[in-house]
Amino acid sequence: MDTSDPDLLPADLLPEGLEDRLPRAAAAATRVMRTIHGVMEGHGYDRVLPPMIEFERSLASRMAGITSRRMFRFVDPQSLRMMALRSDITPQIGRIAGTRLAAAPRPLRLCYAGQVVTIKGDGLDPAREKLQCGAELIGADNVAAAAEVVAVAIEALQAAGAKGVSVDFTLPDLVDTLAAEALPLAPGQIDAVRRELDTKDAGGLVDAGGEAYVPLLYATGDFATAIDKLAAIDAGGALAGRIAALREIALRLDGRARLTLDPSERHGFEYQSWFGFVLYAEGVRGALGRGGTYRIAAPDADGAGHEGEVATGFSLYPDALIDLIASAEPPADKLFLPLGHDRAAADRLRAIGWRTVAALSEADEAATLGCTHVLGAAGPVAL
Amino acid sequence: MTTATPLVFALPKGRILDEALPLLDQAGVVPEAAFFDKSSRALSFATSRPDVTLIRVRAFDVATFVAHGAAQAGIVGSDVIDEFDYADLYAPVDLDIGHCRLSVAEPVGGTGDGGSARESHARVATKYPNLTRRHFEKMGVQAEVVKLNGAMELAPSLGLASRIVDLVSSGRTLKENGLVETSQIMQISARLIVNRAALKTDSARLGALIDAFRTHVAARKAAA
Repeated sequence: MDTSDPDLLPADLLPEGLEDRLPRAAAAATRVMRTIHGVMEGHGYDRVLPPMIEFERSLASRMAGITSRRMFRFVDPQSLRMMALRSDITPQIGRIAGTRLAAAPRPLRLCYAGQVVTIKGDGLDPAREKLQCGAELIGADNVAAAAEVVAVAIEALQAAGAKGVSVDFTLPDLVDTLAAEALPLAPGQIDAVRRELDTKDAGGLVDAGGEAYVPLLYATGDFATAIDKLAAIDAGGALAGRIAALREIALRLDGRARLTLDPSERHGFEYQSWFGFVLYAEGVRGALGRGGTYRIAAPDADGAGHEGEVATGFSLYPDALIDLIASAEPPADKLFLPLGHDRAAADRLRAIGWRTVAALSEADEAATLGCTHVLGAAGPVAL
Repeated sequence: MTTATPLVFALPKGRILDEALPLLDQAGVVPEAAFFDKSSRALSFATSRPDVTLIRVRAFDVATFVAHGAAQAGIVGSDVIDEFDYADLYAPVDLDIGHCRLSVAEPVGGTGDGGSARESHARVATKYPNLTRRHFEKMGVQAEVVKLNGAMELAPSLGLASRIVDLVSSGRTLKENGLVETSQIMQISARLIVNRAALKTDSARLGALIDAFRTHVAARKAAA
């Protein structure tokens, strides 16, 4: 079939990477989102609701490393400027913190939940629409802020039903820090070394001129042992501060999740500074979220960003968790209300949590409509 | 935490397999007898370690299985890793086996149509469309890639493409088909690969496996 001819495609085919969530998965999605939000709110993070669409420049200029290349873009018929659908909510929070809430006291705690869209799927994951829930602590990027943010992220995932949560710590600006003095690299080599470190390709790393960086590949794995290995190879003490900070964060987490360390991980850390983390859970392939410390750029009138405020935050992408929960969950109870039922009784039952399905005609049947109980004279009767 | 589920290790059919098995032995993973039985049609095999299962698939599929996390680890050439460039693959150990190179070859005496580095368009037959395109782009040539799954050497003589990009080890196959190697794209060796997320969530088992391979490769290098 010639897929370039739109008339040959079925009219109601969904584009690649987009899907409908049917009742069971939608119910799980709602509950997961609500639970995550509840945890963030409980820790003092206030929810904000930025729009789906913004000017491309404001979405792309708040964080170093975010490009608009992966965004759906189009011309605004009103202003004739380029607009884009958000592919990440974090820059929107940065914009809000830097403009309308610029005068709010710091540290400022904000959270959000909403759909984000990209023009292409991410590597092996074809999904182009994702749910993103997260929290940002603006005005602090120290150990206390990092420890709070990691702890809230873990708690949110666990509350939402994730089992066996594990957190992988990383040092996103590791190569820059080391290349500055301890293990010097030519400017042209830095990108290649960073790339080979990211794929953990020992052979490629040597070829790229990063032989001195090979031991970093070994300082990965369970946090307690890997951090000792990293400390042992710390060239000239350049990382001493970072290592002490990581140990302190780990200590404050106090066994709430399994911890691992991968100091040279860069994947997905486009704008993070000294500290980053990735969240995983049992039964979910791939990461469920990530976070870290970063700096919100403050664009000047000419659009060029200069260094702005520091911040710490996390983003969860709970879609895979939602699918896992939805598939494992038994269908919820539903109460059938026959024609002429006792309305007051039905009201009382709904008030204590029952879901009811009222008959509209004699033809309606409890079992066909997916009900588990029928309202009898003495109350709900199991089918 | 996931010790109940077996670790799936993917091995490629073909040139790397014979060299990879001794390394696997040394890492304490010995396949069951059926693995060596040519008539066996099984696709997955038990090993001397109850928590490790072997699968034998095409080289390109090794990378795909591991990148998707369907297998947690595997052995594959760096040609395949670079062709796919999957973000979810780690290649922590250069196994120093399966050495060869990825090269451009064309008929002896030129392509006949005056083709050389000067042209802005080239038609190339290969199993490696991404690496081929990238290589020619670097030289400022827009390559039209004809994807083949084997017998690339036939393409120039039958007029399918003016040149080919393929693996070369001794160069004998090229010679027998009237082709000559004109440039090398990259040197290749086999790597131990692991799934990124699996390494994070199952770091005890995969970390030990990586360490075992690393130790044996280092010992072999020291002995050589």
